[in-house]
Amino acid sequence: MLQHKDGSVQNHQHGWEPYVDNGGTSLAIAGEDFCVIASDTRQSEGYSINTRFDPKIHKITDKIMLATTGYSADAKRLTEVIKMQTERYFYKHEKNMESHAAAQMLSVILYQKRFFPYYVFPILAGIDNEGKGCVYSYDPVGNMERVTFQVYGSASGMIQPFLDSQVGFKNQQNVDKTRLLTKEEAISIAVDSFTAATERDIYTGDYLEIYIVDANGIHREQKPLKFD
Amino acid sequence: MFLTRSEYDRGVNTFSPEGRLFQVEYAIEAIKLGSIAIGIRTNEGVVLGVEKRITSSLLVGSSIEKILEIDTHIGCAMSGLTADSRTIIEHARVEAQNHTFTYEETIPVESLSQSICDLALRFGEGAHGEKSIMSRPFGVSLLVAGVDEKGPQLYYTDPSGSLVMYEAKAIGAGSEGAQVELQQSYYKNITLKEAEVLVLKVLKQVMEEKLKNTNVQLAKVVPKTGYSIYSLGELEEIIARLDEQE
Amino acid sequence: MSYNGTAIVAMTGKNCVAIAADKRLGQQFLTVDMDFQKIFPITKKTYVGLPGLATDVQTLYKSNMYRLNEQRDIEPKAFAHMVSSTLYEKRFGPYYIEPIVAGLDKNNNPYICGMDLLGCMDVAHDFIVAGSADENLKGMCENLWEADLEPEDLFETISQALLNAVDRDALSGWGGVVHIITPNEVITRHLKARMD
Repeated sequence: MLQHKDGSVQNHQHGWEPYVDNGGTSLAIAGEDFCVIASDTRQSEGYSINTRFDPKIHKITDKIMLATTGYSADAKRLTEVIKMQTERYFYKHEKNMESHAAAQMLSVILYQKRFFPYYVFPILAGIDNEGKGCVYSYDPVGNMERVTFQVYGSASGMIQPFLDSQVGFKNQQNVDKTRLLTKEEAISIAVDSFTAATERDIYTGDYLEIYIVDANGIHREQKPLKFD
Repeated sequence: MFLTRSEYDRGVNTFSPEGRLFQVEYAIEAIKLGSIAIGIRTNEGVVLGVEKRITSSLLVGSSIEKILEIDTHIGCAMSGLTADSRTIIEHARVEAQNHTFTYEETIPVESLSQSICDLALRFGEGAHGEKSIMSRPFGVSLLVAGVDEKGPQLYYTDPSGSLVMYEAKAIGAGSEGAQVELQQSYYKNITLKEAEVLVLKVLKQVMEEKLKNTNVQLAKVVPKTGYSIYSLGELEEIIARLDEQE
Repeated sequence: MSYNGTAIVAMTGKNCVAIAADKRLGQQFLTVDMDFQKIFPITKKTYVGLPGLATDVQTLYKSNMYRLNEQRDIEPKAFAHMVSSTLYEKRFGPYYIEPIVAGLDKNNNPYICGMDLLGCMDVAHDFIVAGSADENLKGMCENLWEADLEPEDLFETISQALLNAVDRDALSGWGGVVHIITPNEVITRHLKARMD
């Protein structure tokens, strides 16, 4: 609302809205020598589903994957930028980018748009230069943390406490809280998280994509979730 | 070469009909006027050595800096118009720090050396709206020594922007003779300690003055601890070893 | 819901029900009380959890107590309808509360029921969650709950659901209380939790 000197009031009908939340959920769990990355493939806007299959996980190198949530257009651009930069790095330095380098680079790329950020919550996951599973999580302006598990997106509120309990062993006694999950455990927790979240979150559903990154490379699985 | 000189040596970006850039060739000549600099690569690290010409007894020798640190794992020795190196070193240091900032890892030695060469040919008018940074080619050559995941490496850059890797290389006045000596004395499994002595030995042969710990400077780049300059005491010790050998 | 901060959850088991709540009372981000009662016994086998605005929690509890002068135990289903009516009476100036009723009926069948602040009832066979940590509780329960749990297993399940949920909600927590209602007794246990 804009008030003029004569007291008349002018309504700004068309405020520019540069961002949309396209829903969806992504998670990653690090193991001793592997990493599990999972996302649903629903892409929606308000109450309508734009598409039932829009993958949010992308391969960056043979050892690194990027999972996103938030504004799909920004997520796609960010993914392209990172892929492009990793390729340039490969040609310039004649070696593949390690995960710590990609992680730091992503943080820099996000902060470069500090005052008109990519509306994206990225999770970078894969194998580090010692062959250990790694997960890096970010906020939209590049704050970075290396963690053992992370979930972002419309169902993060439901999945985060579950992961705290099952992956972080929070609120449990007589357990080794630093223990990392086995591959089977991690996959099963990822699947359970999404089947549960899909029951209650309308923005999460359709298909579940799971990537397992380990010394043998990248392995992909797909499972149907609920379509409602 | 100078017999064919013509109007073509005026513009820095003008080829002669024989396909030569005279200004660049003259710049390479300028290197040969500079005092000698030597680099030797070993499996344990790289040694750099330079002669410091103390032209007057009133000159403070320690103020001559011909070996400089670029990053903790890279150092370089120079010969030629050493003042020109300030632009290059500044560029190289920024490049190295940028890499560390963006990728949280040290820059590969080859990439760093390449970025120095990229700068070498940016003389003359700036292309596509770019501001020109210098009007003539650099008059300085560098020996870039560094250690990264590929191990110890030694690179040589000249004003033409070419980048070559060497096991051992001498540049500057008297470098031809020094290079012959290096070629004879260098062998694949030379140790760092032997390389230290070899550098001084070659310097001694070329230098007009008597070799002292004040008129030479030595530096090394080794894995883990990286770049360091030898102290006067350390130099004294190596000179003693050289004397012993002879 | 987010002024005082609450987390309340109820679950069914095999011939038993559980209802649990956190203990925090706050004024937005200021914690005022770390032992605030949010679950109230109505009969020996019916409990009500009142998540929402704390002043309305106490008012609504008292007004319901006043209505219970009947000289006999009320069934959980009947009680839930009564609470619902009480809320709907204030259709245009509501109590800011989303109650949860949990109990065993006269055949010792579990009954749990949630409702919104106007009294719209939601009778569930599995679990009901409410409060500022409802989203977190929903996720925990959806994963942990299974049918026909025995009282001790039900206690473990509801406790884990509550603790992990409140740890990810800034407005609730500071310990918890769990009531397991069985045909013969009500087991009440207090949970220690992160105090932040």
